[in-house]
Amino acid sequence: MSVAAIGADGHDGVDQLYVETRELRLQGFLLFLVSDCVLFSSFIFAYLYLRNSGQGWPPPGIQRLDVGFAAWNSVVLFGSGATMHYALENFKHGNFIRYMWFLLATIVLGAGFLGGQAYEYNHLIFGEHVTWWGSGIFGASFFTLTGMHGMHVFFGVCYLTVLVLQSAAGVYTKGKYFGITAGTLYWHFVDVIWVVLFSIFYLI
Amino acid sequence: MAVAAVPAGGIAGHIHPEPQGFVRRYVFSLDHKIIGIQYIITAFVFMVLAGLLAEVIRTQLLNANGGFVAPDTYNEVYSVHGSAMVWLVIIPVLTGGFGNLVFPLQIGARDVAFPWLNMLSFWIFPVAGLMLFSSFLMGAPTAGWMEYPPVSLQGAAGTSMWAAAIFLVGVSSTMTGINFVVTILKMRAPGMTFTRMPLFVWGQFATAPLLMIATTALAAALAALFIERQFGVPFFDPTKGGSPVMWQHMFWFYSHPAVYIMILPAFGIISEVLPTFSRKPIFGYKLIAFSSMAIALAGFMVWAHHMFTSGLAPFLQIPFMIITFVIGVPTGIKIFSWTATLWRGKIHYTTAMLFAIGFVGLFTLGGITGIFLAAIPFDLHVHGTYFIVGHIHYVLVGGSLMGVFAGMYYWFPKMSGRLLNETLGKLHFWLFFIGFNGTFIPMHWLGMLGMPREVATYDPQFTFWNRFESFSSYLMTFAILIFFVNVLWSIRNGKRSGPNPWGARTLEWQIPSPPNYYNFKHIPTIYGLPYDFSQPLPYKGLEEELTDSPPPVAAGAH
Ligand code: HEM
Ligand SMILES: [Cu+2]
Repeated sequence: MSVAAIGADGHDGVDQLYVETRELRLQGFLLFLVSDCVLFSSFIFAYLYLRNSGQGWPPPGIQRLDVGFAAWNSVVLFGSGATMHYALENFKHGNFIRYMWFLLATIVLGAGFLGGQAYEYNHLIFGEHVTWWGSGIFGASFFTLTGMHGMHVFFGVCYLTVLVLQSAAGVYTKGKYFGITAGTLYWHFVDVIWVVLFSIFYLI
Repeated sequence: MAVAAVPAGGIAGHIHPEPQGFVRRYVFSLDHKIIGIQYIITAFVFMVLAGLLAEVIRTQLLNANGGFVAPDTYNEVYSVHGSAMVWLVIIPVLTGGFGNLVFPLQIGARDVAFPWLNMLSFWIFPVAGLMLFSSFLMGAPTAGWMEYPPVSLQGAAGTSMWAAAIFLVGVSSTMTGINFVVTILKMRAPGMTFTRMPLFVWGQFATAPLLMIATTALAAALAALFIERQFGVPFFDPTKGGSPVMWQHMFWFYSHPAVYIMILPAFGIISEVLPTFSRKPIFGYKLIAFSSMAIALAGFMVWAHHMFTSGLAPFLQIPFMIITFVIGVPTGIKIFSWTATLWRGKIHYTTAMLFAIGFVGLFTLGGITGIFLAAIPFDLHVHGTYFIVGHIHYVLVGGSLMGVFAGMYYWFPKMSGRLLNETLGKLHFWLFFIGFNGTFIPMHWLGMLGMPREVATYDPQFTFWNRFESFSSYLMTFAILIFFVNVLWSIRNGKRSGPNPWGARTLEWQIPSPPNYYNFKHIPTIYGLPYDFSQPLPYKGLEEELTDSPPPVAAGAH
């Protein structure tokens, strides 16, 4: 390998940072989302596989899921995606107050979605006696996937709450706000997963 | 201070001071070189444990009716042996171990992209390993390393422990994968374009996405198995509507790419050792690099060749057969390129080189039996027999493990500043080579005659060859013992190696052995190809790396 000229004389060389830069973190975070997506995809594959290997869906003795309520709940979640988008945009443009309001709105909507999901679970479990372990592959796939997604929303809400506190304490500045970007990306990711889950559980 | 001027547009050098104190330096270290060595040592410890289990297997099979251990124990032993060798030895030593140790040096980086994540990846690994071995205390898994349901649903509590342990190793692998992808994409020295990267880096670059993607798919399968076992949530149990074949899909969707996780880094090692000791640029650099990527990609499309007997529809089986055949092509390209590298080379028969040449031969045999297995009619005949055991050991021991040994003899001086003893090394190689072939060649015909794998006894007509295998395997174990003696002896008494004992051309050899904490005083700029043996050493412009002056900028701690 021909190697030459080193930074010493101010030639071509560029010393790298030892510390993790924003660019590195962003790429690492995106790759994390990719692998998280594979996790969901595997379970989604499992669900479709099981669904196709049985006789009909929903399996005998189980009601179809209620699309109406879930649709409203989805609207709540997608709304939170929009508010999160505006939160980031406002931060970038220096409108700190509006950023905080949009962030808070996102948290409220996210929590609202979780509330809706709790209501739906409650109805399924106690109203229709569909449980995770006792209702065959229907319960297994529905509760595992939506539960996993719900956990993601829950962690997201926690994270955004931390963001609010950090922002109030002035942790993020105009040039240094990776935490907010990551939160936004994560939130959109969770939204996209929900689009898929909603289609395969409620629509088809 | 040596450096003041920073090139326009560049970023000021910023090196954390070297941590003081044993714990920060050697235990919870952030330094990729130390972490690499930690991985290697830990993996070798697990290799001893898993190797002992292997000898329990071979001792049991000395006699047709077994008798060394109870049949149930035998099941536990081979299941943990396989799992440990795959997830606690070969994968960690090749990715976390040699990957961490070598490739940041080869691309001219000061560390990996996320040192802290790297440390975390490492520390999960021994914990997961101990969990796996602790499953013996609660009834270890008994369904082999693939843990097919329904047997794995019925196993004792240790099976859940197994799932949790492998899940954790998977988390560690995924983080390593993310770390390596970002490092290779973003932290190459100026001038280190993709087509100037040493082939070991290419090997890691092809492996890292597999670690990231395939491993997560396995995590889903393991989580489902764990949930089903612990909470009775049906995924795989057919009496509740689940499907055991789905486990096979999920498992092999990971585990076929995983076989490439275990071989691509070893390909990388071989591609460093062969040109260095033939004193020739590697033949077909681009072919080798791109065929690694092709293999990694196509590796996701062939998983069902492990399931030809699982009742898939024929119209699905045929494409899987064809794509598997096709994967043989890039593999063959590599074998031809390595052979052509040797052709008319000025060959130095060092121990590392012996292992590399041994690799080319033995791996080729394993690849050929792989192509046999891809042919459905043949596979229907030998699936579930010792033929498979022969195939996997030719690729994993004759391939991956020989690669690990080649890497150890090659890079040990970089780790320790001392050479491994060559006499002991050659003894190690020859005994290992003979023992290995004696152990695994007969498995091919035993398999074709119908001796099933994973059974504690066998038909007495197979006694002769089984004894032959067992005694050969003792020889192999003895050879590995020699290797450990060699390592322990050479750490203190080995010949001092100096920075570049092999006259190698890649970057890691142009700096002291062991390298300074900060790797490079100045990040070098690269102008040429990695195997340019016509260039005189040391490289112009790199001499200063070898002197004792302090690093250019030592920024304050934070
Ligand atoms: C040319 C390349 C290869 C081909 C065509 C090939 C093909 C196959 C096929 C068809 C099987 C399934 C046999 C059966 O269970 O009936 C198999 C099993 C296996 N192969 Fe390969 N293989 C190749 C290379 C490798 C490599 C490089 C590795 C690992 C480093 C590997 C590791 C394994 C393992 C671990 C199994 C068996 C798993 C088990 O059932 O326990 N193979 N191979
Ligand atoms: Cu395979």
